[in-house]
Amino acid sequence: MSNTGDDDGRKTPVKDFHSMAKVSVGQILGLVEAVDEVGGLADAATISREVEMDVDRLGPILTAAEFLGLVTIEDGDIRITELSRKLLTANVRERKRIVREIIDDMPAFRLVMEMARSSGAPLGRQQVVQALADRVGSHQAEDVFNALVYWGRYAELVRYDSGSEQLTVRIAQT
Amino acid sequence: MEPSLLEVKDVLKSYFENGKEFKVLDLIRFELAERDFVCVVGPSGCGKSTLLRIIVGLEPPTSGQVLFEGSPIRADNPQVAMVFQSFALFPWLTVTQNVELGLEAQGIPPEGRHARARKFIDAVGLTGFENAFPRELSGGMKQRVGLARALAIEPLLLCMDEPFSSLDPLTAQNLRDEILQLWANPDLPPKAVLMVTHSIEEAVYLADRVIVLSSRPGRMVAELEIDLPRPRNRKEPEFYGWVDEIYSLIV
Ligand SMILES: Nc1ncnc2c1ncn2[C@@H]1O[C@H](COP(=O)(O)OP(=O)(O)O)[C@@H](O)[C@H]1O
Ligand SMILES: [Mg+2]
Repeated sequence: MSNTGDDDGRKTPVKDFHSMAKVSVGQILGLVEAVDEVGGLADAATISREVEMDVDRLGPILTAAEFLGLVTIEDGDIRITELSRKLLTANVRERKRIVREIIDDMPAFRLVMEMARSSGAPLGRQQVVQALADRVGSHQAEDVFNALVYWGRYAELVRYDSGSEQLTVRIAQT
Repeated sequence: MEPSLLEVKDVLKSYFENGKEFKVLDLIRFELAERDFVCVVGPSGCGKSTLLRIIVGLEPPTSGQVLFEGSPIRADNPQVAMVFQSFALFPWLTVTQNVELGLEAQGIPPEGRHARARKFIDAVGLTGFENAFPRELSGGMKQRVGLARALAIEPLLLCMDEPFSSLDPLTAQNLRDEILQLWANPDLPPKAVLMVTHSIEEAVYLADRVIVLSSRPGRMVAELEIDLPRPRNRKEPEFYGWVDEIYSLIV
């Protein structure tokens, strides 16, 4: 297979990364810890009460955690996954590695990796936003770009300089 | 005998307005030794921030004394670092520059500063954000910068003033756990932690010892050893027993 980034079937997956735009690493990890603390399984109302955050604010965090494969949500029940258990026992640095392994082959990151490889030079913000806009629509492209920068920095997959607006892909580390 | 790391001796603080005395702290007395993680808990306005400012030498007590390693505390003591509720970051500086700031003040040469900053940025999980500006960070990340900046001066004593109270509950809990991870590593500074908070649950979750203050003027109501094993579970009856006990002491 070649040119996977332009495959029609990938439009939706790149768009899915939008769920990562409104949440932070700390919120995701805090949620996993909270579900674990009540035994690894709870309904949304219970979690909402336990963490003293209303369901409106919790919703996007749950969606993102599910997107990352850290929880499953079924009939309103939230259950942490094996992957979450790995995260819970990991230290700060291992957590970054686990998140890197989850996100590095997501379509949104693969798109950026592909672009970086074919251009062989740092990518300009506008160039990436444009490519994202083709897949997620222009009104979400900025959010997805910011999410790629935030999560990409955390997972040590990308470098971004907000002064020059240049994005570089980091060499994979072990 | 070696002096304690920190001795707070009968500290009393009053502010005076139009000749009228406004008492904020009354006879605070406790000590901190190496490997102590102590939380001071008390209601809002009871004088917790004032107490920390006195302890780090930013403000004199009206009477009483604060000794650090046996000598009166000075505000420029590089063995004491502070983390603030408001993060206190410079918005026009990057993460690395914010962390290096305190090192520059100590006269550490540039290469030494970079290496030190890199080490503590990594320890708090901020590698990847070195050249980010505060506005590009989530709240939890901002407080990690505050923590890295404090740790980078390799202090013996780390003071924290409500470091989690401007974070959402999930981010706060995650950061509490990661701070305990750092604390469990004896190769990293500091040697002791003194944190103030209005959250009883937070104090019981984190501390080996909790000092309970009354409402203003803050007076020591109790000093309790929290002997719960770690990691602590906030859902267990033993945990709740401590929270309830402290609650009943304050109200
Ligand atoms: N510089 C000051 N001048 C006058 N009053 C002050 C000053 N600083 C603090 N206070 C008062 O002292 C009391 C304790 O304040 P503070 O130490 O900030 O309490 P806490 O941190 O426990 O909420 C408050 O009533 C506050 O208004
Ligand atoms: Mg205060």
